[in-house]
Amino acid sequence: MNTNHAILVALIATLALTRFAHAQTDAARSVDEIARLIEAASEGETVTIPAGRYEGNLRVSKPIVLDGHDAVIIDGLNNGTVVELTVPGITIRNLTIRGSGSTVDQEPAGIRAYDGPIIIEHNRFEEVYFGIDLRQSPDSIIRHNVVHGKDLELGRRGDGIRLWWSHGCQIHDNFVDGLRDMVFWYSEDLRIDRNRVVNSRYGLHFMYSHNTVLSENDLTENSVGIYLMYSNSITLRRNRIINNRGSSGYGIGLKDCDDITVEHNAILANRVGVYVDNSPSSFDSVGLIAHNSLSFNEIGLLATPITHNNVITANAFVENEEQVAVHGGGQLNNNVFAKDGFGNFWSSYAGFDLAGDGIGDSPYAPRNVFRDLLSREPNLRIFVHSPAQQAIELTARAFPDLNPEPMFEDPSPLTRPPTLDLFEPATTPSRAPMLAVACVLLLASGMGIWIAARQNSISVDIVQRSAQT
Amino acid sequence: MTTLTTPKPTSACATRHAYRSFAGSTLALARREFRDALASRWFLLYTIAFSVLAIAVSFMSLAGSGSQGFAGFGRTTAGLLNLIMLVVPLMAIIAGSGTIAGERERGTLLYLLAQPISRAELLLGKYIGLAVALCCSMFVGFGLSAAVLAWRAGGAGLSSFFMLIVFTCGLSLSMLSIGVLLSVLSRRSGVANGLGLFAWLLLVFVSDLGLMAGTVLFKLRVQEVFAIAIINPLQAFKMGVIVNMNASLDVLGPVGMYASLTYGNALPWLLAAVIIGWIFMPLALALVMFTKRGGV
Repeated sequence: MNTNHAILVALIATLALTRFAHAQTDAARSVDEIARLIEAASEGETVTIPAGRYEGNLRVSKPIVLDGHDAVIIDGLNNGTVVELTVPGITIRNLTIRGSGSTVDQEPAGIRAYDGPIIIEHNRFEEVYFGIDLRQSPDSIIRHNVVHGKDLELGRRGDGIRLWWSHGCQIHDNFVDGLRDMVFWYSEDLRIDRNRVVNSRYGLHFMYSHNTVLSENDLTENSVGIYLMYSNSITLRRNRIINNRGSSGYGIGLKDCDDITVEHNAILANRVGVYVDNSPSSFDSVGLIAHNSLSFNEIGLLATPITHNNVITANAFVENEEQVAVHGGGQLNNNVFAKDGFGNFWSSYAGFDLAGDGIGDSPYAPRNVFRDLLSREPNLRIFVHSPAQQAIELTARAFPDLNPEPMFEDPSPLTRPPTLDLFEPATTPSRAPMLAVACVLLLASGMGIWIAARQNSISVDIVQRSAQT
Repeated sequence: MTTLTTPKPTSACATRHAYRSFAGSTLALARREFRDALASRWFLLYTIAFSVLAIAVSFMSLAGSGSQGFAGFGRTTAGLLNLIMLVVPLMAIIAGSGTIAGERERGTLLYLLAQPISRAELLLGKYIGLAVALCCSMFVGFGLSAAVLAWRAGGAGLSSFFMLIVFTCGLSLSMLSIGVLLSVLSRRSGVANGLGLFAWLLLVFVSDLGLMAGTVLFKLRVQEVFAIAIINPLQAFKMGVIVNMNASLDVLGPVGMYASLTYGNALPWLLAAVIIGWIFMPLALALVMFTKRGGV
């Protein structure tokens, strides 16, 4: 009996102790503890922060490595910028940073840096107004960070990652969800690779930032995928730009940019695939749009009538509601849709290839009376996807004189889609549910037929009952 | 199996029995109608036509989409939409318009009405039987289409595919109601089928083209265009499918934007309500006409 009691008491005591110890690690500490650790460390040293949750705003002004080993939370308690970096040479690693303020005029951020180079890697940001904000911090590296914003409406959000006058930075493998932009101001010679931006305003946004390659970024369900403005010598390569259908709804927007190369991108199911607004803007500059898949968008390529000097070749325009459109009407005669006798693949091309060389015998010059009608009477767009639309198009095919002038001509359209070398996602959704649906539907109809086909039916019943009465 | 005798409603128990018997004979009639539909050529023809077209559309809209780095149901819908809006109303209206008028012309209506069943039971039974036959026929098409999608595109877009099926069933039921109403009104099956074809033309082509002309001529405002457009169950169906696929009607231009902004999350329900209205109102009218009308 006594021994039993003793064991029970011991058990309870142990339990209470472990709970107490647990509560100890859970209890929030002040960021001043981290500040003291940094003070004690020498320059360049790695400071490992003890696991736990720290509250307050931290200012780092010594070149050190700060490592949280994925067990440290720094919570700004929804007040001001959570971590400020004032000197070059700082590395911030494996931290969770949350709860910045949201006062619009102070632009509070998860991490704000005032000098470079610095490294920010493998951190997680939650409930922040701006995620990472670099101000005049050249040659910095931002990689493998995850940024989740505050739950604000689109017009009130801050930027996921912002660079201001920070040349030579590398931004790669970051994930931004539900903020405004990943935006680059006055920053040159950047590398922007394999970032994912979803549910934001502009996936990647360039303002006056030149000489940069953006590759293998994944921009899904934003208002705009990539918007380049007043930025020159930029290459967009192998990006995936899908389902961007906000108020602008462009996959890629190019506004007054010179020497832009857009190649091997998958630009799919956006409201507008590529929007070219006066790019290139200089007379001696050429824009190249080649080897892209511009498919399943409402409009594949939209351009302002002033647009000139673009070479559009070897792209696949597949099943866009409107393959090419001119913003406000007009022609695209100052651009070429083929290079070295090599045009684009158009899923709506209805010509032949007698020679069998993969180049259509007649040029692709679409003339569509319904589209023309839509551009003049936008309210009629409610009738797309209806048999009435097809009736009108069929009529126009029978009476070609009804059709408007073509807005462009591809002299050598491809009869087969070109090889595009696109960036493919790692996973595809499982096909099992759809297969199950197929089986259920077929089974349902089969069951129905079987039940109905069984012998005893009402006709028999009625006859039998009539005979009885 | 099912009893068709109608006992005198003398007690509560008997009333309940009468009620059960009402449902029982309606269902039995429905089964008879379903069987007849299966045995008839139109069912076979429509099932084969719809299935072949659905498979062809699924294949064609997915052709090359894999190589474009994008696979999924989204684009198949656009193709399926056009197909459904043409074929399903035709199939349902003609199936409905043939039913009562056909029996009337052959003289079998007299025979059926001589049985101890009410006119309402007869009409409802026929309606349910045809509705099940139509849905079965379309399930074959959708099932094969889903198999193609699963094979070529994986499982993307499952929920919008499901909603497409639901809305298509709704559309076919509403068209069947219209057909049954026309059938009740006509003496001969030729007239009923002619009226059915006319109704189909009216709903599928004439009303849209007329509204297009009206929009241009009278400079209709977006709310007017939207209000007039959704009266047509086909437009309500189309918008319902698109709003379930895209969560917004921005695809449909200013009018669609207006609808999305004004009705928000209530929009799919509004559109579903239009279709449900088109199922019940013509059917109710047909019931009234058929039961009030004396003779055969």
